Amino acid sequence: MSDGHDTHHTDDDCGCSDAEATRPAGEGAVPDGGTATEAGGEFEPVDVFDGSDMDLRPGADSCYKCTSCDTSCPVAEVDDSFPGPKFQGPEQWRLKRKEDTEIDDSIMGCSNCMRCDGACPSDVPLSQMHNSARGEYVDNQMDKLSREYIRNRILANYGTLARVGSKVPRLTNAVMGNSLVQKINEKVLGITAERDFPEFADETFRSWWKRRGGPKVHSEEKRIAYFHGDYANYNTVEVAKALVRVYEEFGYEILVPDQRCSGTPMFANGMLDDARRSAKVNVENLGDAIENGYDVVASCTSCSMALRQEYPEQFDLDGTETVAANTYDALEYLLVHENVIDPIRAVDGDQLDLPDFAYHAPCHSRNQGLDRQAVELFRHLDGVDVEDVGDSCSGISGTYGWKEEKYDYSMEIGEEMFEHMEHAEGETGMTECPTCSMQMEHGTGYEINHPLEVLEKALVDTDVEV
Amino acid sequence: MTDNVMPDAAVVRVTRSHSMSERTEVVVIGGGSTGCGVARDLAMRGVDVTLVEQGNLTHGTTGRMHGLLHSGGRYAVSDQASARECIEENRVLRDIASHCVEMTGGLFVKRPEDTEEYFQQKLEGCRECGIPAEVLTAEEAREVEPFLAGDIDKAIEVPDGAIDPFRLCVANAADAEEHGARVETHSPVTDVLVEDGEIVGVEVTHESGPGVRVHGTEGGTEAIYADHVVNATGAWAGRIGDMAGVNVEVRPSKGVMTVMNVREVDTVINRCKPKGDADIVVPHETTCILGTTDEEVDDPEDYPEEAWEVDLMIEELSKLVPMLEDARTIRSYWGVRPLYEPPGTGTTDPTDITRDFFLLDHADRDDLPGMTSIVGGKFTTYRLMAEKISDHVCDLLGVDADCETADVPLPGSDDFTVLRDYMDEFGLRSPIGRRSMQRLGSRADEVLRTDEPNPVVCQCEAVTRAELRDAIDQSGTDLNAVRLRTRASMGNCQGGFCVHRMANDLREYGGYDRATVDAALDELWQERWKGQRHALWGRQLSQAMLNHLLHATTMNRDGAAPEDFAAFDAGEADGAPAGVDGPGDAAGATAPDGGVPVDAGADEADRPDGGDAGGD
Repeated sequence: MSDGHDTHHTDDDCGCSDAEATRPAGEGAVPDGGTATEAGGEFEPVDVFDGSDMDLRPGADSCYKCTSCDTSCPVAEVDDSFPGPKFQGPEQWRLKRKEDTEIDDSIMGCSNCMRCDGACPSDVPLSQMHNSARGEYVDNQMDKLSREYIRNRILANYGTLARVGSKVPRLTNAVMGNSLVQKINEKVLGITAERDFPEFADETFRSWWKRRGGPKVHSEEKRIAYFHGDYANYNTVEVAKALVRVYEEFGYEILVPDQRCSGTPMFANGMLDDARRSAKVNVENLGDAIENGYDVVASCTSCSMALRQEYPEQFDLDGTETVAANTYDALEYLLVHENVIDPIRAVDGDQLDLPDFAYHAPCHSRNQGLDRQAVELFRHLDGVDVEDVGDSCSGISGTYGWKEEKYDYSMEIGEEMFEHMEHAEGETGMTECPTCSMQMEHGTGYEINHPLEVLEKALVDTDVEV
Repeated sequence: MTDNVMPDAAVVRVTRSHSMSERTEVVVIGGGSTGCGVARDLAMRGVDVTLVEQGNLTHGTTGRMHGLLHSGGRYAVSDQASARECIEENRVLRDIASHCVEMTGGLFVKRPEDTEEYFQQKLEGCRECGIPAEVLTAEEAREVEPFLAGDIDKAIEVPDGAIDPFRLCVANAADAEEHGARVETHSPVTDVLVEDGEIVGVEVTHESGPGVRVHGTEGGTEAIYADHVVNATGAWAGRIGDMAGVNVEVRPSKGVMTVMNVREVDTVINRCKPKGDADIVVPHETTCILGTTDEEVDDPEDYPEEAWEVDLMIEELSKLVPMLEDARTIRSYWGVRPLYEPPGTGTTDPTDITRDFFLLDHADRDDLPGMTSIVGGKFTTYRLMAEKISDHVCDLLGVDADCETADVPLPGSDDFTVLRDYMDEFGLRSPIGRRSMQRLGSRADEVLRTDEPNPVVCQCEAVTRAELRDAIDQSGTDLNAVRLRTRASMGNCQGGFCVHRMANDLREYGGYDRATVDAALDELWQERWKGQRHALWGRQLSQAMLNHLLHATTMNRDGAAPEDFAAFDAGEADGAPAGVDGPGDAAGATAPDGGVPVDAGADEADRPDGGDAGGD
């Protein structure tokens, strides 16, 4: 949501750690028999549908049919068989009667980029409607032995795959990088052979953290619990390490709690039971950390999106609201609590080994109101040009672009971003989202960095091994 | 329905109008549930019938009720005879009108301030009348309806249902026509013909010539002679009586109905207390309808529609379903009940007047043979009323035939239990296919099977072009009649995004000229606006504003800008003034945002649905 989280540039205790900073759950929309957030406070619905089913029809009250969501939908623009978010959301929900269980199969065309949430002028809980409808569709209508289901289940549970694969990273990288294996993946599973499977790091972030002996900085006041997610743990370990070094530079004590996947790919594939299991672990562990004075930061904007918006919308777990209210994007949190600009200004960028960048804001960061933060910060870094390549979607949307039948759409959506990257001065990409990063690299051949990596280069003396 | 090919028929009609006369056995005045029911019943018994109605079918009280198919529970304490009739007819209609009925079930909900004594009376009353009734704890009731208030005591579950009065009347009229009846809408009775102390027929004034209505077609008067006249005009019965010179004292009583945007409940929710205003929520199609008030009025066509009535609905019913307080209402409408009591009863409170119906044979009552009036009664028992009237008329005419209306399904309600994947068969997305099936019942095949593209015209209610065209076949240019048949323009945008598409099909499919289409569109738009005036706050106000901007400014329907296309300034393309090559080329060369490459525009044009992503 564009009215999401304002970045306060003050050093005093930020008062924004309350629920109103993130988007409220849809009006009248109640997470499976959920919390009493209704007007009047006396309303507490009964959990009738046992599990994931919830009545989101009242969310259609906010819809004026204006079609802003449809015109902002990157999938509808390229895929004529996809009827768009207005149909998937308020229209389909409003047409439901209690006994109606069938969901139109076109819900599986949605990539879960959530741009419709941001486009809606009237706070229709579009992505919540889509997530719920998709969950119902997968639970009730999808053949659990079908190739599509199995493929989606695998993609959605990337973390499980990664846990095994990363035990023997070199072997896994060799096997997955083999073009024959890629062909087989495409033929048997429907995972596109066009993309190179992301390489596993030699050492996971968590092993590194353990080997390192945990935090090097201790503080009673400044404490963050780091939600790294699966990708920064298994693949882009350098992003996670950059976060550690930057935050320690600013005097933070870092906790790396036990955690599971944020659930983003599970939501996108309608695997709500899987997402709930992950959410339960995360909410418990992050909730404990919050109780001990830690705020939660994530380096992936889809992870922070899941913790802040999707958990409270989808699950009625003890503590989701607290976790949602105390979770931040890593750069956002730093900008809220620290003076980052002055140290950045003091740096002579020309002395650093930093290229110019073409920056893409991920859709999920845009929804949290964070789409300009990197560009606005690095504007103060002399000698390094960071150019925003526009507000289009990268097209990969997590697992979407990995599906054989979606690959072409994914690239068509990404075309605008690729073009703008080519036109930008910089020949290195920058983004917060790991899958946007894959897409940017895939479409342009550029190397892609995370803003935290740039911040690390600018502010941390990396010659000293920490 | 009859095969009317509009343009040709229209020509024929003009020549037929002006001072015609016709002979039939029975004229039925009034195209509401009773009139349509009588017409069907008599026609099925082989009687020659003509039905005349001043507006559309359901124009009067039938089209302005809350759509409740009574279980009889509401009358189980105060009027057990009515209650018994209701449960009996409730069962009949589930069979013969299955595509008009949704068996939602109903609850009588007791709040802490409602008496236990009445709750027990209600329960026993239901059981005495043969109405299945079960007591639910508060917890159980909220399992049925999660949005019920948290502080309710308990509830009684009864087989209430929802019924679409429009569909029901249309099906009755269609079946009457199948059996040889003539149905004339927009043909108000302007005189009752009395000769030698006997009623011999009626004079009607056709608004646009007989047959389906076409705007702008010249009307005329017609004398319809009949052996017997049935006055089934409900709240208007007194007016017909006056024309005949007899006194029929109907006491019209108004009641408000407020339409919510979504179904907050899927079950009929009644408040379990003796009579009272604002005590029922009926899930109706995609909406919920809150009802109602009961206030005697002088004139069934001219009475105040007051804001306090709407406020009362929301305030009182929020006690049962709290979320109603902040929920969106899309419109409100009022109906007038045709209450009647025999002279000398002297009831002062209209809620105390019986809901029973009265058959007034003016031969016995006023010494004026040739006409029977039917007054009082209620929608759920319309078929039974029609049966009794038809028995009476057949007696008078010496017709010996049994009533079949309790056994023979209405068109659309034939058994089609064979499970088929209609969505795949008709190429419709599942909620659209499902809603179409619910509306069309067994007529789905004949309506939806088409070789042509079948886009959704009304997105709120999921109405496709094929269904719209079927309704146009039946309704001529009367878009309100199309609306009643399809529900197009009855959703949350109240026509903002579809009335022009509906009108466009009058041109594309019906072949009507611009002036006719404009008149039809204006009439529908005004009707849609009428009800929304009572919902202009919060979100429906925003909707109304958006609708206004779309239609008044974007489409220039307020006529503020002259329609002079030559004066349109398309800007300049490539340094040369646009428009010199004619409007077609100018449009191709200049994109609205001033300069997207031409091939981007071509892409757009190639797309089969023209980029309206929600439209198919």
